[in-house]
Amino acid sequence: MFDYTFQWGQAMARLPQMLEGAIVTMQVAVLSMVLGIALAIVLTLLRLSGSRPLMAISTTWVEVARNTPALFQIYMAHFGVASFGLYLNPFMSLLVGITFNNAGYLAENFRGALKAIPDTQARAGRSLGMTQLQAFRYIIVPQMLRISFLPMTNQMVWAILMTSLGVTVGMNTDLYGVTQDLNALTFRTFELFAIAAVIFYVITKTITLGGRLIAARLFRY
Amino acid sequence: MFETALTTRDLWFLAQGAGITILVTAISVVIGTILGILFGVIRVQLGPILSAPLTFVLDIFRSVPLLIQLVLTNAFVGIVLQWQISGFTVACAVLSLYTSAYCAEIVRGGIDAVPQTTRRAARSLGMTWAQDMVYIVTPLATRVALPSWIGLALGVMKDSALVYVVQVTELLKSTQILITRLQEPLFLLLICGAFYFIISFPLARLGGYLERRWSND
Amino acid sequence: MKTLTLIAAATALTGLAGIAQADKLDDIIASGTLRCAVVLDFPPMGMRDENNEPIGFDVDYCKDLAAALGVDAEIVETPFPERIPALMSNRVDVGVASTSDTLERAKTVGFSVPYFAFEMAVTANNSTGIDSFEAMKGFTVGAVAGTYEAIALEEYVNQWGEGSTFRPYQTQADVFLALSQGQLDATVSTSTVAQANVQSGNFGDISVVGFAPFDTDYVALFTRRDEYGFLNYLDLFVSQQVRTGRYAELYEKWVGGELPDLTIPGVYR
Repeated sequence: MFDYTFQWGQAMARLPQMLEGAIVTMQVAVLSMVLGIALAIVLTLLRLSGSRPLMAISTTWVEVARNTPALFQIYMAHFGVASFGLYLNPFMSLLVGITFNNAGYLAENFRGALKAIPDTQARAGRSLGMTQLQAFRYIIVPQMLRISFLPMTNQMVWAILMTSLGVTVGMNTDLYGVTQDLNALTFRTFELFAIAAVIFYVITKTITLGGRLIAARLFRY
Repeated sequence: MFETALTTRDLWFLAQGAGITILVTAISVVIGTILGILFGVIRVQLGPILSAPLTFVLDIFRSVPLLIQLVLTNAFVGIVLQWQISGFTVACAVLSLYTSAYCAEIVRGGIDAVPQTTRRAARSLGMTWAQDMVYIVTPLATRVALPSWIGLALGVMKDSALVYVVQVTELLKSTQILITRLQEPLFLLLICGAFYFIISFPLARLGGYLERRWSND
Repeated sequence: MKTLTLIAAATALTGLAGIAQADKLDDIIASGTLRCAVVLDFPPMGMRDENNEPIGFDVDYCKDLAAALGVDAEIVETPFPERIPALMSNRVDVGVASTSDTLERAKTVGFSVPYFAFEMAVTANNSTGIDSFEAMKGFTVGAVAGTYEAIALEEYVNQWGEGSTFRPYQTQADVFLALSQGQLDATVSTSTVAQANVQSGNFGDISVVGFAPFDTDYVALFTRRDEYGFLNYLDLFVSQQVRTGRYAELYEKWVGGELPDLTIPGVYR
């Protein structure tokens, strides 16, 4: 059918190495999500702070993260910030780049979620003697996280997909990096990347379905 | 930082890269949207079970990194099928399908947001399915879908930075070429980032504005 | 019965088409254009001038080859990891891309006789105090993903073990950028690229500190491995470039110094 000899055996022999790469990919994605959520909460807090400079920081972060390519952000985290004498190794550059992106998008999601939480709740908290921060911490944040749970699983999928951009900053231990290294050795481009695609598909589907199951279980009213 | 070896010719070179970015984005968004509307309507009409194969295929475009989609398609078309197709065409084809996968979701969401009762009312007034779709569903669904669609179009523009992998010299790649020659990474990267921002930010704001305006009534 | 006739007819047609089929060499001459894969961030072999047009040894070599064939040259820029995929996916006709003729690669593509030879040099950031290849042990080193030197260097780093780190970058420019920024302590690259980059002064406080103990890196032109006609032409072309003195002329123009010998002592090819 094709004038091309597939050599799946050669590619499949590299599967263990690729699976190791998949673990690194998941590590980066999970870390970037945890840090991203924490930073997004801080950004939301800054936005609510009422102080102009703090609000400006929050807005700038969110808008730059949402309006420039993720590849640009990661490249910048490696080669751009190095111009200021700050050296991040490939793993850190990738992590910082994706975290920056995650935090921006999640903060925007949180902003939408906040609208769904009536002001009166925070005021009720205040009248019970909570400080503003306590009201935020115990009343707003839990609801905010619950409302934005599905957008967060989407962002997690994005984080997984974004790890593939690490090759541009010298990352060679994640799934995409490993696949590209193997490709340079064997030139079985199609076979290797097809296997990588399947692994990525399985990971992202697991996250989406897992997210839905957790949501169904956690958020029964 | 403002002492630079950058010449007007280099700026022109960057502008050409930016032109490619816009061209690839425009082609992919137009084709992707047409396909996306088609796929979205098919999915709603057939229901979840009959449209499962289509859903599965579209899902792949949303579950595999775009970089891999590009490399894999390029390898399949060129190495396996031995077709003579330019990298530009491969980039547009992949990005179009990628766009259509997300667009189909938006379209589906838009149609689902139109109340069944409204549609039944239209049909009971004697409208055909096509009339219902054109006069009732389209205006109402567009209100729901347009802000997300603007977000998608901007997303595609940003994602088009990855087509360098099939040898298309778009904006980010042009920037890298100049970095190679001039060795002023920060300055050049800031120019490149500013360009994306200038296009994306006003449109993103417009999307946000429409979303607020249309969700209030 | 009908099916059988159809199959017979189809077979006959395929057979005829087989006889009439032109090979790569005919295709190139007929198309009027020779598409060369060239790496353009690899001075002085391939780079860009102030108009961002491709120049360099490989660019001139491609133009010479096109002139010999009587067609126009088209330079297709390919990053190092994309050279062979670009050929396999028919985006280019031939690679004039300083490609080492390894046995692993020869499983996929066909190589001509060597048209250039590199020594591998170690370039280090002066602040590290690295003064030789062995001194790189324990440092962070890097090279361009998928190149001969990257594959060899990564093996050494794996042997050196703890403390030594290997990082592949996508382009030669990114490697030297990382080196000048201090993200890499040292790199192994061809001595020509190392000299060109150190002399350019673009990369700050770096210098060439010695040679890597790798074998001489012979690089060859490559095309599809089943295109014997074209491969034969390429072999003869390389030989003619040397005979006519054009090889020496290009070497003087782009590199300078002692002309590398392209023959391997004690063996035919």
